[in-house]
Amino acid sequence: MDKKIGRREFFKKSAKIGISAAVGYGFAACAPGEKAVPAVEETVDIAVATGSDYFASTVKAVDGVGGMSKFVPKGARVAILPNSQSRHPGTYTKPEVIKAVVEMCKKAGAQEVNCLTWLKPENWEASGLDVAVKEAGADLKFIEPEEANFKAIPVQGWKAHQEVMIMKEFYNNDVFIDMPITKDHAGNKFTGTMKNLMGLNFRTNNRLFHREDWTTNPESIQFLDQCIVDLNKAVKPTLCVVDATEFITTNGPFGPGELAKPQKIIAGVDRVAIDAYCTTLWGLTGEDIYAIKLGSAQGLGEMDLDKVGIKEITA
Amino acid sequence: MIRQMTGHRLVFLFVLSFLFLTPFTTGFQKTIVEALPGDNDAEGWKKTRAMQHYAGEDLYEYINGGAEIYHEYGFVRVVVQDYVNDEGKSVSVEIFEMTSPASAYGMYTFKTDAKGKKITIGSDAQLADYYMNFWKGPFLVTLTGFDETEITRAGLLDIARNVGSKISAEGDKPRIVSLLPEEDLLDQSLKYFTGFLGLRNSHPFFQWNIPGFEQGIKGDYSGGFSFFLFRFEGIEKARGGFQSMEGQKDRRGRNLFVAVHGEYLMLVLGEADQNRANRIFGRARRKIDG
Repeated sequence: MDKKIGRREFFKKSAKIGISAAVGYGFAACAPGEKAVPAVEETVDIAVATGSDYFASTVKAVDGVGGMSKFVPKGARVAILPNSQSRHPGTYTKPEVIKAVVEMCKKAGAQEVNCLTWLKPENWEASGLDVAVKEAGADLKFIEPEEANFKAIPVQGWKAHQEVMIMKEFYNNDVFIDMPITKDHAGNKFTGTMKNLMGLNFRTNNRLFHREDWTTNPESIQFLDQCIVDLNKAVKPTLCVVDATEFITTNGPFGPGELAKPQKIIAGVDRVAIDAYCTTLWGLTGEDIYAIKLGSAQGLGEMDLDKVGIKEITA
Repeated sequence: MIRQMTGHRLVFLFVLSFLFLTPFTTGFQKTIVEALPGDNDAEGWKKTRAMQHYAGEDLYEYINGGAEIYHEYGFVRVVVQDYVNDEGKSVSVEIFEMTSPASAYGMYTFKTDAKGKKITIGSDAQLADYYMNFWKGPFLVTLTGFDETEITRAGLLDIARNVGSKISAEGDKPRIVSLLPEEDLLDQSLKYFTGFLGLRNSHPFFQWNIPGFEQGIKGDYSGGFSFFLFRFEGIEKARGGFQSMEGQKDRRGRNLFVAVHGEYLMLVLGEADQNRANRIFGRARRKIDG
């Protein structure tokens, strides 16, 4: 059963299509390797599939925003960025979600799918995602966290950081799929599509996001969130697929913590809209999270969910 | 002569450190490792994978993106050991050595919540769906199962009891905990904090920083409000904290009442009116003075 919400007025809808198209082009222009990716002309901004079969939900969510072939051209090299930060339940992207995304990429004609990480192999072994990635037919590429393996990328319109340091290997890909699990974070309260990009950024550079007094000064938490927004200005996913099936709402990001189980997969390109939607799954709003507010104010996306075309699908 | 004395002193210091300091340090390390159950100490559960050990700043290697809160409370080291049983179930045991029993208690309150089941292991213990925490002396122990089956939950308890029996250290909660008025206080709602991260996570969207507090405690009360008590180093600093909060409004429209008493700042946040706030302030004052 499909249900569309949002888009209250035709005028708004028409205006939004224009925005979506423009955003689609923007992603295409900034995708890794500078290869053109077809612009998104869907009226649906984000698709949300709910069900206990996470593989099926992932497929339906991506289909809900137009299908993988809209984002992955034939012959493309695809970089994926799942979260494998911890092995505790509700802290890492589910294997079924990874398998579904890789399979869809291959079906769309992707030449290769590369799972990039600077985390240690132990992180992936512990969560079992090393096996999941390999079984899915993707390459798990461990990037040594050394400066030589990262490239300085200037941030257009930066507020906190002039440049970020993105792994060079990332730029050997044409398409980028951001695949976080949404969850709690003791520092800035929320992890989603935007914060996940820290997984591409050089660890030392990530540490610069944290001022010395970030654990004592609220302004420094805001600084951290501004850094995350700046990082998102430099790296723009072609598509986001978010695991919101089961995730921790306390003691994040590592866990163990209390689990919420909305059994949802969210797909789309608007990171701010997706993150704002995810906050609602555990009683928050986009207004509660600095990074979402800053991302919205600085043009990364739409945080007002009344203005977002959300397609709800029962998988 | 001076050079000779210096040499003797160096030798003396070396011998002293060898005799006392080294065994002292390794003694602590030994304690934390020896608290890990051996094979079948908890019936049916055997060690699997190598033990991991992280100390000081190395915690970032283990808890990438989440180590700061441990450091805020006072972290020394952690050992991690996995166990499996014949049914293929797994349990991970983490024993965190914190800088003091107060640090361990604080981290325990950070990692637990009102929904968990209270159990009797260590000083306080709580079992949740697939994990549990307890603290004893300067140690916080977290056990994680990787599913919610009865076998796994029973394993969590058996292993936790074994760890608890091997930790001989004892320690008290910080005194500030005893200053919370007991009437209508919800069991297991307490959060003890010593810094901004702990404070910020002690309550859904606590939006303020309280400058200069040394320690604080929060309890939830029936009726839908929370009471916060902050201790400062001296009356002047407490007044500074009071001034920073006076006239503040809650972003979510909840009621907020503020009072100061000696070196303590008190807040009531939530579904309480001025009378209710005054009553709890009065009870807390009596406890502080008593």
